[in-house]
Amino acid sequence: MAGESRNRASSESFGEASIDVPGVPNVYYDRQFNIQAAKILPGEYYVTQRDMMIVTVLGSCVSACIRDRETGIGGMNHFMLPHSDADPNNPLSTSTRYGTYAMEMLINHLLKLGARRQFLEAKLFGGGNVMQGFTVHKVGTRNAEFARSYLEVEKIPVVSQDLLDIHPRKVYYFPKTGRVLVKKLRNLHNETISEREQQYQQRIVVEKSSGDVELFT
Amino acid sequence: MAKTILAVDDSASIRQMVAFTLKGAGYEVVEAVDGEDGLNKAKSKPFNLVLTDQNMPKMDGITLIKSLRAIPQYKSTPILVLTTEAGDAMKSQGKAAGATGWLVKPFDPQKLMDVVKKVIG
Repeated sequence: MAGESRNRASSESFGEASIDVPGVPNVYYDRQFNIQAAKILPGEYYVTQRDMMIVTVLGSCVSACIRDRETGIGGMNHFMLPHSDADPNNPLSTSTRYGTYAMEMLINHLLKLGARRQFLEAKLFGGGNVMQGFTVHKVGTRNAEFARSYLEVEKIPVVSQDLLDIHPRKVYYFPKTGRVLVKKLRNLHNETISEREQQYQQRIVVEKSSGDVELFT
Repeated sequence: MAKTILAVDDSASIRQMVAFTLKGAGYEVVEAVDGEDGLNKAKSKPFNLVLTDQNMPKMDGITLIKSLRAIPQYKSTPILVLTTEAGDAMKSQGKAAGATGWLVKPFDPQKLMDVVKKVIG
Protein backbone atom coordinates (compact mmCIF):
# COMPACT_ATOMS: atom_id res chain seq x y z
CA MET A 1 0.00 0.00 0.00
CA ALA A 2 1.47 3.31 -1.03
CA GLY A 3 2.60 5.66 1.64
CA GLU A 4 2.59 3.39 4.58
CA SER A 5 4.19 0.25 5.77
CA ARG A 6 4.78 -2.11 8.56
CA ASN A 7 8.20 -3.48 9.09
CA ARG A 8 10.16 -5.52 11.51
CA ALA A 9 12.81 -3.15 12.80
CA SER A 10 15.25 -5.96 12.13
CA SER A 11 14.29 -6.25 8.47
CA GLU A 12 17.15 -6.11 6.05
CA SER A 13 14.80 -5.13 3.26
CA PHE A 14 13.86 -1.78 4.67
CA GLY A 15 13.91 0.92 2.03
CA GLU A 16 13.37 -1.42 -0.87
CA ALA A 17 9.73 -2.08 -0.28
CA SER A 18 7.34 -2.31 2.57
CA ILE A 19 7.04 -5.88 3.59
CA ASP A 20 4.27 -7.46 5.50
CA VAL A 21 4.75 -10.53 7.60
CA PRO A 22 3.23 -13.30 5.49
CA GLY A 23 -0.09 -14.57 6.69
CA VAL A 24 -0.59 -11.90 9.30
CA PRO A 25 -3.53 -9.59 8.70
CA ASN A 26 -1.71 -6.56 9.98
CA VAL A 27 -4.31 -4.07 8.77
CA TYR A 28 -7.94 -4.69 9.59
CA TYR A 29 -11.16 -2.81 10.06
CA ASP A 30 -11.83 -2.21 13.74
CA ARG A 31 -15.57 -2.32 14.38
CA GLN A 32 -15.36 -0.95 17.87
CA PHE A 33 -13.68 2.26 16.74
CA ASN A 34 -15.04 2.26 13.17
CA ILE A 35 -11.64 2.82 11.70
CA GLN A 36 -8.95 0.96 9.83
CA ALA A 37 -6.35 -0.34 12.26
CA ALA A 38 -2.84 -1.78 12.23
CA LYS A 39 -1.57 -4.00 15.01
CA ILE A 40 2.16 -4.10 15.69
CA LEU A 41 4.26 -6.65 17.54
CA PRO A 42 7.59 -6.36 19.39
CA GLY A 43 10.32 -5.19 17.02
CA GLU A 44 7.91 -3.68 14.52
CA TYR A 45 6.76 -0.22 13.64
CA TYR A 46 4.03 1.29 11.50
CA VAL A 47 3.70 4.69 9.89
CA THR A 48 0.81 6.26 8.04
CA GLN A 49 -0.48 9.45 6.48
CA ARG A 50 -4.07 8.31 6.73
CA ASP A 51 -6.71 8.57 9.40
CA MET A 52 -6.37 5.23 11.11
CA MET A 53 -5.52 3.56 14.38
CA ILE A 54 -2.31 1.79 15.42
CA VAL A 55 -2.61 -0.75 18.21
CA THR A 56 -0.11 -2.65 20.30
CA VAL A 57 0.14 -4.49 23.62
CA LEU A 58 3.10 -3.60 25.81
CA GLY A 59 4.67 -5.37 28.73
CA SER A 60 8.15 -4.13 29.54
CA CYS A 61 8.61 -2.87 25.98
CA VAL A 62 8.08 0.77 25.10
CA SER A 63 6.21 2.39 22.24
CA ALA A 64 6.95 5.84 20.96
CA CYS A 65 3.99 7.40 19.18
CA ILE A 66 5.43 10.15 17.02
CA ARG A 67 3.62 12.52 14.66
CA ASP A 68 4.05 15.70 12.72
CA ARG A 69 1.60 17.97 14.53
CA GLU A 70 1.05 20.07 11.39
CA THR A 71 0.23 17.26 8.94
CA GLY A 72 -0.86 14.39 11.17
CA ILE A 73 1.64 12.01 9.56
CA GLY A 74 2.46 9.65 12.38
CA GLY A 75 3.56 6.26 13.53
CA MET A 76 4.36 3.97 16.38
CA ASN A 77 7.20 1.61 17.20
CA HIS A 78 7.43 -1.15 19.78
CA PHE A 79 10.83 -2.13 21.10
CA MET A 80 13.02 -2.97 24.04
CA LEU A 81 16.73 -2.83 24.75
CA PRO A 82 18.75 -6.01 24.61
CA HIS A 83 20.18 -5.97 28.12
CA SER A 84 23.38 -7.78 27.40
CA ASP A 85 25.72 -4.97 28.34
CA ALA A 86 28.24 -4.88 31.09
CA ASP A 87 27.88 -1.11 31.32
CA PRO A 88 24.44 0.28 30.50
CA ASN A 89 25.69 3.88 30.80
CA ASN A 90 28.16 3.42 27.98
CA PRO A 91 26.90 5.54 25.04
CA LEU A 92 28.20 2.90 22.64
CA SER A 93 26.66 -0.08 24.41
CA THR A 94 24.70 -2.63 22.41
CA SER A 95 21.53 -1.51 24.18
CA THR A 96 21.92 2.16 23.34
CA ARG A 97 22.83 1.40 19.75
CA TYR A 98 19.87 -0.90 19.25
CA GLY A 99 17.42 1.50 20.91
CA THR A 100 18.72 4.35 18.79
CA TYR A 101 18.19 2.20 15.71
CA ALA A 102 14.59 1.33 16.66
CA MET A 103 13.78 5.01 17.15
CA GLU A 104 15.56 6.11 14.00
CA MET A 105 13.74 3.57 11.81
CA LEU A 106 10.42 5.08 12.88
CA ILE A 107 11.55 8.69 12.54
CA ASN A 108 13.21 8.14 9.16
CA HIS A 109 10.08 6.56 7.79
CA LEU A 110 7.96 9.47 9.04
CA LEU A 111 10.32 11.92 7.34
CA LYS A 112 10.07 9.90 4.13
CA LEU A 113 6.30 10.27 4.20
CA GLY A 114 6.74 14.03 4.47
CA ALA A 115 6.81 14.67 8.22
CA ARG A 116 9.16 17.45 9.25
CA ARG A 117 11.56 17.03 12.11
CA GLN A 118 10.80 20.39 13.71
CA PHE A 119 7.09 19.57 13.97
CA LEU A 120 7.48 16.13 15.54
CA GLU A 121 5.89 15.44 18.90
CA ALA A 122 5.97 12.21 20.87
CA LYS A 123 3.93 10.26 23.36
CA LEU A 124 5.54 7.39 25.30
CA PHE A 125 3.96 4.26 26.70
CA GLY A 126 4.96 1.02 28.31
CA GLY A 127 8.08 0.10 30.22
CA GLY A 128 6.02 -1.72 32.82
CA ASN A 129 8.08 -3.86 35.17
CA VAL A 130 5.84 -6.81 34.40
CA MET A 131 8.29 -9.69 34.44
CA GLN A 132 8.17 -10.79 38.04
CA GLY A 133 11.14 -13.09 37.63
CA PHE A 134 13.36 -10.33 36.32
CA THR A 135 12.59 -7.45 38.64
CA VAL A 136 16.23 -7.15 39.67
CA HIS A 137 17.07 -5.70 36.29
CA LYS A 138 14.02 -3.44 36.05
CA VAL A 139 13.76 -4.13 32.35
CA GLY A 140 10.78 -1.83 31.90
CA THR A 141 12.47 1.06 33.68
CA ARG A 142 15.53 0.80 31.46
CA ASN A 143 13.42 0.83 28.32
CA ALA A 144 11.40 3.83 29.51
CA GLU A 145 14.49 5.78 30.53
CA PHE A 146 16.16 5.12 27.22
CA ALA A 147 13.15 6.38 25.24
CA ARG A 148 12.89 9.54 27.33
CA SER A 149 16.56 10.40 27.08
CA TYR A 150 16.67 9.64 23.35
CA LEU A 151 13.83 12.09 22.65
CA GLU A 152 15.48 14.68 24.88
CA VAL A 153 18.74 14.45 22.91
CA GLU A 154 16.79 14.67 19.64
CA LYS A 155 14.80 17.63 20.99
CA ILE A 156 11.48 15.97 20.17
CA PRO A 157 8.97 17.08 22.82
CA VAL A 158 7.17 14.40 24.83
CA VAL A 159 3.63 15.76 25.17
CA SER A 160 2.22 12.85 27.13
CA GLN A 161 3.38 9.60 28.69
CA ASP A 162 2.22 6.61 30.66
CA LEU A 163 5.27 4.61 31.68
CA LEU A 164 6.52 2.16 34.32
CA ASP A 165 4.11 0.65 36.86
CA ILE A 166 3.70 -3.14 36.84
CA HIS A 167 0.82 -3.74 34.41
CA PRO A 168 0.81 -4.52 30.71
CA ARG A 169 -0.95 -1.95 28.54
CA LYS A 170 -2.92 -1.94 25.36
CA VAL A 171 -2.31 1.26 23.44
CA TYR A 172 -4.53 2.70 20.70
CA TYR A 173 -2.94 5.56 18.77
CA PHE A 174 -4.70 7.87 16.34
CA PRO A 175 -1.86 9.67 14.58
CA LYS A 176 -4.10 12.04 12.62
CA THR A 177 -5.25 13.73 15.83
CA GLY A 178 -2.57 12.53 18.21
CA ARG A 179 -5.15 11.00 20.50
CA VAL A 180 -4.18 7.92 22.53
CA LEU A 181 -6.23 5.51 24.56
CA VAL A 182 -4.45 3.31 27.08
CA LYS A 183 -6.03 0.28 28.64
CA LYS A 184 -4.21 -1.12 31.67
CA LEU A 185 -4.48 -4.90 31.56
CA ARG A 186 -4.70 -5.57 35.27
CA ASN A 187 -6.41 -8.92 35.14
CA LEU A 188 -4.65 -10.40 32.18
CA HIS A 189 -2.31 -13.33 32.44
CA ASN A 190 1.02 -11.97 31.38
CA GLU A 191 2.56 -15.12 29.98
CA THR A 192 1.83 -14.45 26.33
CA ILE A 193 3.13 -10.90 26.48
CA SER A 194 6.21 -11.89 28.46
CA GLU A 195 6.94 -14.85 26.23
CA ARG A 196 6.65 -12.76 23.10
CA GLU A 197 8.89 -10.08 24.56
CA GLN A 198 11.50 -12.60 25.67
CA GLN A 199 11.57 -14.23 22.23
CA TYR A 200 11.97 -10.79 20.69
CA GLN A 201 14.76 -9.94 23.10
CA GLN A 202 16.67 -13.11 22.26
CA ARG A 203 16.22 -12.40 18.57
CA ILE A 204 17.68 -8.89 18.75
CA VAL A 205 20.63 -9.92 20.86
CA VAL A 206 21.59 -12.51 18.28
CA GLU A 207 20.65 -10.73 15.08
CA LYS A 208 20.86 -7.08 15.32
CA SER A 209 23.74 -5.51 17.15
CA SER A 210 25.28 -4.23 13.93
CA GLY A 211 24.65 -3.79 10.23
CA ASP A 212 26.51 -4.73 7.06
CA VAL A 213 29.50 -2.89 5.70
CA GLU A 214 30.47 -2.69 2.05
CA LEU A 215 33.35 -0.84 0.47
CA PHE A 216 32.88 -0.05 -3.20
CA THR A 217 35.93 -0.74 -5.29
CA MET B 1 48.33 16.63 12.69
CA ALA B 2 45.07 14.84 13.35
CA LYS B 3 43.02 13.87 10.34
CA THR B 4 39.69 15.61 10.11
CA ILE B 5 36.33 13.98 9.53
CA LEU B 6 33.03 15.65 8.67
CA ALA B 7 30.12 13.75 10.26
CA VAL B 8 26.71 14.55 8.76
CA ASP B 9 23.52 13.23 10.41
CA ASP B 10 20.19 14.80 11.39
CA SER B 11 20.02 12.63 14.51
CA ALA B 12 21.83 14.16 17.47
CA SER B 13 22.14 10.68 19.04
CA ILE B 14 23.99 9.31 16.04
CA ARG B 15 26.24 12.39 15.84
CA GLN B 16 27.13 11.86 19.50
CA MET B 17 28.00 8.19 19.01
CA VAL B 18 29.99 8.81 15.84
CA ALA B 19 31.93 11.76 17.31
CA PHE B 20 32.61 9.82 20.53
CA THR B 21 34.00 6.89 18.54
CA LEU B 22 36.16 8.88 16.13
CA LYS B 23 37.49 11.39 18.66
CA GLY B 24 38.42 8.50 20.90
CA ALA B 25 40.59 7.18 18.07
CA GLY B 26 42.36 10.53 17.69
CA TYR B 27 40.48 12.03 14.75
CA GLU B 28 39.20 15.57 14.68
CA VAL B 29 35.44 15.61 14.08
CA VAL B 30 33.20 18.39 12.77
CA GLU B 31 29.44 17.73 12.94
CA ALA B 32 26.76 18.84 10.49
CA VAL B 33 22.99 18.49 10.99
CA ASP B 34 21.88 17.85 7.38
CA GLY B 35 23.23 17.65 3.84
CA GLU B 36 23.05 21.38 3.29
CA ASP B 37 24.94 22.14 6.50
CA GLY B 38 27.45 19.43 5.55
CA LEU B 39 28.03 20.90 2.10
CA ASN B 40 28.61 24.39 3.54
CA LYS B 41 31.07 23.05 6.11
CA ALA B 42 32.88 20.98 3.49
CA LYS B 43 33.29 24.08 1.35
CA SER B 44 34.66 26.13 4.24
CA LYS B 45 37.60 23.81 5.01
CA PRO B 46 39.06 20.58 3.63
CA PHE B 47 38.32 17.21 5.28
CA ASN B 48 40.13 13.89 4.97
CA LEU B 49 36.86 11.96 5.14
CA VAL B 50 33.12 12.64 4.97
CA LEU B 51 30.71 10.33 6.81
CA THR B 52 27.06 10.95 5.99
CA ASP B 53 23.56 9.69 6.71
CA GLN B 54 21.14 9.24 3.79
CA ASN B 55 17.70 10.38 5.03
CA MET B 56 17.96 13.98 6.20
CA PRO B 57 15.91 17.17 5.94
CA LYS B 58 16.91 19.83 3.37
CA MET B 59 19.48 17.69 1.54
CA ASP B 60 19.90 13.92 1.66
CA GLY B 61 23.16 12.00 1.68
CA ILE B 62 23.21 11.04 -1.99
CA THR B 63 22.61 14.63 -3.08
CA LEU B 64 25.40 15.70 -0.74
CA ILE B 65 27.76 13.16 -2.31
CA LYS B 66 26.92 14.33 -5.84
CA SER B 67 27.45 17.96 -4.80
CA LEU B 68 30.79 17.13 -3.17
CA ARG B 69 32.02 15.11 -6.15
CA ALA B 70 31.36 18.17 -8.35
CA ILE B 71 33.88 20.14 -6.29
CA PRO B 72 37.47 19.48 -7.52
CA GLN B 73 38.81 19.36 -3.95
CA TYR B 74 36.42 16.50 -3.06
CA LYS B 75 36.84 14.50 -6.24
CA SER B 76 38.71 11.70 -4.52
CA THR B 77 38.01 12.30 -0.81
CA PRO B 78 36.61 9.13 0.80
CA ILE B 79 32.88 9.49 1.50
CA LEU B 80 31.15 6.85 3.64
CA VAL B 81 27.41 6.50 4.05
CA LEU B 82 26.05 5.42 7.44
CA THR B 83 22.36 4.69 7.04
CA THR B 84 19.29 2.65 7.96
CA GLU B 85 18.92 1.90 4.24
CA ALA B 86 19.95 -1.70 3.67
CA GLY B 87 18.39 -2.16 0.23
CA ASP B 88 20.47 -2.79 -2.87
CA ALA B 89 18.65 -0.15 -4.93
CA MET B 90 19.63 2.67 -2.59
CA LYS B 91 23.13 1.28 -2.19
CA SER B 92 23.60 1.29 -5.98
CA GLN B 93 22.44 4.89 -6.10
CA GLY B 94 25.03 5.72 -3.47
CA LYS B 95 27.75 3.96 -5.39
CA ALA B 96 26.75 5.73 -8.62
CA ALA B 97 26.79 9.10 -6.82
CA GLY B 98 30.40 8.44 -5.81
CA ALA B 99 30.22 6.96 -2.31
CA THR B 100 33.30 5.07 -1.17
CA GLY B 101 31.46 2.72 1.14
CA TRP B 102 28.10 1.87 2.68
CA LEU B 103 27.57 1.08 6.36
CA VAL B 104 24.15 -0.10 7.49
CA LYS B 105 22.86 0.81 10.95
CA PRO B 106 22.62 -0.21 13.78
CA PHE B 107 25.80 1.76 14.26
CA ASP B 108 28.78 -0.41 15.18
CA PRO B 109 31.80 1.54 16.48
CA GLN B 110 34.29 -1.23 15.72
CA LYS B 111 33.13 -1.66 12.14
CA LEU B 112 33.22 2.09 11.60
CA MET B 113 36.78 2.28 12.95
CA ASP B 114 37.90 -0.61 10.74
CA VAL B 115 36.54 1.07 7.62
CA VAL B 116 37.83 4.54 8.52
CA LYS B 117 41.32 3.18 9.19
CA LYS B 118 41.21 1.32 5.92
CA VAL B 119 40.31 4.38 3.84
CA ILE B 120 42.29 7.18 5.53
CA GLY B 121 44.69 5.42 7.87
